[in-house]
Amino acid sequence: MQQTVAAAEFLAACALSRVDAVSGFARDGLLSSQEVFTQQLVTGLSNGMIIALIAIGYTMVYGIIELINFAHGDLCMLGAYFALTVVGALGVDQWAGTGGMMGLVLVLVGTAAFCGSLNWSINRLAYRPLRKASKLSLLVSAIGASFILVNLGLFWGGLPMDVFANGTSSAAPKAFPALVSADPAAQIGDVIYSRTDLLVLCVTLPLMVALTYLVRFTKLGKAMRAVAQNPTGASLMGIDVERVIGASFFIGGSLGGFATVVYSLYNQTVSFQMGYRMGMDAFIAAVLGGIGNLPGAVLGGILIGVIRSMSDGYLEARWTNTVVFGILILILVFRPSGLLGAKLREKV
Amino acid sequence: MTMATILEVRDVTMRFGGLVANERVSMSVHGGEIFAVIGPNGAGKTTLFNAITGIYEATEGQILFDGKEIRREWSRKTSFRAIGIGLATAVVAVLAYNATDLWQGAIVEKYVYAQPFPWGEAMATLVTTMRAAGFWSTWGIAVLGFILGRLGYGAIWHSQRRTPDLVSRAGIARTFQNIRLFAEMNLVENVLVGMDQHCTCGYWACLLRTPRFWREQAAMRIRAYEFLKFVELADAAGSLASSLPYGHQRRLEIARALATEPKLILLDEPAAGMNPAESADLMRLIRRIRDRGVTVVLIEHDMKVVMGISDRIVVLQHGKKIAEGTPEEIRTNPVCIAAYLGTEVVH
Amino acid sequence: MAISSKRITINLLLIAAVASIPIIEKFVPLGLHISDPMTDVFVYAILGLGLNILTGFTGLLNLGVAAFAAIGAYVFAISTCEIYPFQLGFWSALGLTMAAGALAGFALGAPTLRVRGDYLAIVTLGFGEIVKDVLVNMDSITKGTQGINPLPPPTLFGHELGGSGQYWLFMVFALVVAIGARSLERSRIGRGWISIREDELASRAMGIRPDHAKMLAFATCASLAALAGALTASRLSSSGEPGNYDFQISILALCIVIVGGIGSVRGVLLGALVMVGMNSIVLVKLTELMGGSDAAPPAALADAHGLQWAFLFVKTWAQNVLISPTNWKFLVFGLALVLMMIFRPEGILPARGAKEDAPDGDEGSSGASGVGGVPGGGASPVATKELRP
Repeated sequence: MQQTVAAAEFLAACALSRVDAVSGFARDGLLSSQEVFTQQLVTGLSNGMIIALIAIGYTMVYGIIELINFAHGDLCMLGAYFALTVVGALGVDQWAGTGGMMGLVLVLVGTAAFCGSLNWSINRLAYRPLRKASKLSLLVSAIGASFILVNLGLFWGGLPMDVFANGTSSAAPKAFPALVSADPAAQIGDVIYSRTDLLVLCVTLPLMVALTYLVRFTKLGKAMRAVAQNPTGASLMGIDVERVIGASFFIGGSLGGFATVVYSLYNQTVSFQMGYRMGMDAFIAAVLGGIGNLPGAVLGGILIGVIRSMSDGYLEARWTNTVVFGILILILVFRPSGLLGAKLREKV
Repeated sequence: MTMATILEVRDVTMRFGGLVANERVSMSVHGGEIFAVIGPNGAGKTTLFNAITGIYEATEGQILFDGKEIRREWSRKTSFRAIGIGLATAVVAVLAYNATDLWQGAIVEKYVYAQPFPWGEAMATLVTTMRAAGFWSTWGIAVLGFILGRLGYGAIWHSQRRTPDLVSRAGIARTFQNIRLFAEMNLVENVLVGMDQHCTCGYWACLLRTPRFWREQAAMRIRAYEFLKFVELADAAGSLASSLPYGHQRRLEIARALATEPKLILLDEPAAGMNPAESADLMRLIRRIRDRGVTVVLIEHDMKVVMGISDRIVVLQHGKKIAEGTPEEIRTNPVCIAAYLGTEVVH
Repeated sequence: MAISSKRITINLLLIAAVASIPIIEKFVPLGLHISDPMTDVFVYAILGLGLNILTGFTGLLNLGVAAFAAIGAYVFAISTCEIYPFQLGFWSALGLTMAAGALAGFALGAPTLRVRGDYLAIVTLGFGEIVKDVLVNMDSITKGTQGINPLPPPTLFGHELGGSGQYWLFMVFALVVAIGARSLERSRIGRGWISIREDELASRAMGIRPDHAKMLAFATCASLAALAGALTASRLSSSGEPGNYDFQISILALCIVIVGGIGSVRGVLLGALVMVGMNSIVLVKLTELMGGSDAAPPAALADAHGLQWAFLFVKTWAQNVLISPTNWKFLVFGLALVLMMIFRPEGILPARGAKEDAPDGDEGSSGASGVGGVPGGGASPVATKELRP
């Protein structure tokens, strides 16, 4: 019933459209309602692309071992701390011009490698011993892993480095230095396309193309698809199932690593609790698109990004999480296979 | 022993996407007989069982038990319930949507700290607040809530029209091809789960352990013990189902199914994995089940068992019925021999 | 059903020992102050027992029990607090709270009956988040992040109970709930729940109505969680802020169930003792031992070099991190979950396969059942044996 109420409220609010929020925007920023919409859309799309990249990590793991990798969001959180540490230790934020670009690439690749290896190790330590156990034991183990990662983030935040504000409080949110100039990349009418928006596009699109190539056309991709369909059959065909699972954890993790750097640059703050929020958004995106389905994760990510930003703009920001979780519950109840997923049937 | 038709399968077709598991299968089982369904692997035998027991819904065709389809009907009570749930959702939706205003008007503005609360006035304010709230945030939300609640109930009801529990309560019990016992329960408890539908104690009686609960519990335990005795497992009554050897697990599954006190029992490959001595025991057991007045339908690959106990046999291949008759007729039917292609030695 | 008299004696002795803690503390001043955290243990035991009914018996993983506790605390607060006109007494408010909890359980249970195991976990998690957000956002009713206070303390026959009185009252509550959970487990209701956990399809085919059974489990779990929330609120004289009822609390409850022994009532009681004891006694003492001194000034780091720098760096970091027990909590919970799942999925005090339930005069056979234990293959009892398509 609670869901019904939430849904009713959401629909009604859309229908009656709380006009004050929109008109408020128009008053302050002197934007036309068309431009408000476009600006929200741009923000939503950028966030959506980042969410999509993280959602791919969920969907890959789910597709292969049917595990909701609860620790994925917190893995990304640790990635952000790693990026922050690298930036602080090397002083990347002081590098200018081409050096700055190189620094950014370095941070991106380094974080991706870090997250990938960490995800691989988590699989090795927390999930692999449970390969034969039930799915729920695996999920509980993943929740446990997520909590351990959160605590590692908390410990990490206490490092006495300048970027962590000298670690005055390990739990306090840390500012992420702006590695990308705040000047707008383009401005059409009054709608601003920032450089971070551009960066999001430059990072996420090539990665998605590369991933599609990898899954469709390489030997590893073929092996991954085989294991996803039938692990026993795949192992009988001579595929090293554990290696394939490890590889997908690595790839999913490193995509999360790329995403988390962009996410931190976009939101300019890092805290040990950000993983939960990031993870939930991405997970909801994966479910919305149809978990286990790669294009679905991208579609879901973009949708969730846009819904969030529209809800921020037109509803009230404080209800955004409720709206997003309400959507998750509605999908799981009415169409658990998501928008693009195939319907599964229980075998007796 | 009656000879009236107890189960009638009429032109049942089961499709999964493009795959046709059963195509226009018809058969009728008479009360008190032992009826076998045979056929090569993948012939659609288990699918047919699943359609009969309500695990799958037949794409086309009818399944009649005692001349009736086992299906929940949309009665007057269902209508009332659907409308009730719709109204409840509507009321909750309206209250939730206007909660802040209602609370402000009726409670916050009326209550003066540590003084008696004017309940009458507050109620009146509720009404005026609702009147002032405007058409959309009252009636609009109410209609939306009603539709959601009503549709939700309807959807759940619709998906529940023919479920395994309903079929079981109507009097059809079954066992499973890949044994599905409750592994962490002991034998008695496994049987007690089967008897559950005949228990009358409710939640509160169980929670508060009323005298009625104790009486029923004692009676049920004795009865469960009898079922275990019937399948010759009474000695192991207290051990866990998962600790039983394979053949015994099959017998326990039969006891559990019998505990539902069915008129018809479906056995899915009861002799699978049994040695000749065990399957001979099983044949005796199946005859004893029939002698209790329970009609038996079984899927079996062991031709010795099938030919030994069946009154009539249906042969399926590629989802279609290719023959029906007594064991004698089937044994000599050239179509059947071709279907099995000598993979099974027909004794 | 012969429960041996030895068992009863042990149980009574344990209860007496636990009940005597406040008296001992009064007369033997050791300065341990464990009766206060022990009261928490009782509340968490109730929460854990509630979750155990849903997750342990029925096999439905619930990651949102904290939401039910929040609903309990807020219903109790609104119905008793003097800033609202309702001002019910302690006991009638408790009754109302449990009823409201059960309704909330129905509200979550009904639409999610057909949601698969791991998805259900996520739905309950989402429910928890929504409840928390709604409580914060409806601030005109719930006072937002301030919480509602003051609330009346627990009473008994019109007397307000102090520290020891609350201790005993909460202990009795936990005991009654434990006995109730046990009674349900050993009845057709509990058998229905467990059969759904073991194999939902088979139990359906035996005529069990999973929808009924699951709804009952949801409602029982929710109303017990609400009771736990209300008791805490009454004890602290405040509903606390909605943020107090977050994912952490749900996971703490899950840890209690899993560490103690999933599906086992005694296990859950022990689990509550272990986890809450760890949380509010061991971690606090550890922090006092390790992080007492002031943090080194960051300037010292800038001047230091080489080994001295490294030493200072680590020291400053350790002081930053070890300063509060909350900085450890997640690690303890996380390790508890992962290690238990890998090495002992059945918990410290596993649920036994209900051995003594053999019919009368058949005691001999119960010896054989010891062989069974938890079935092999490492399958955890959490399993709702999900089928791969």
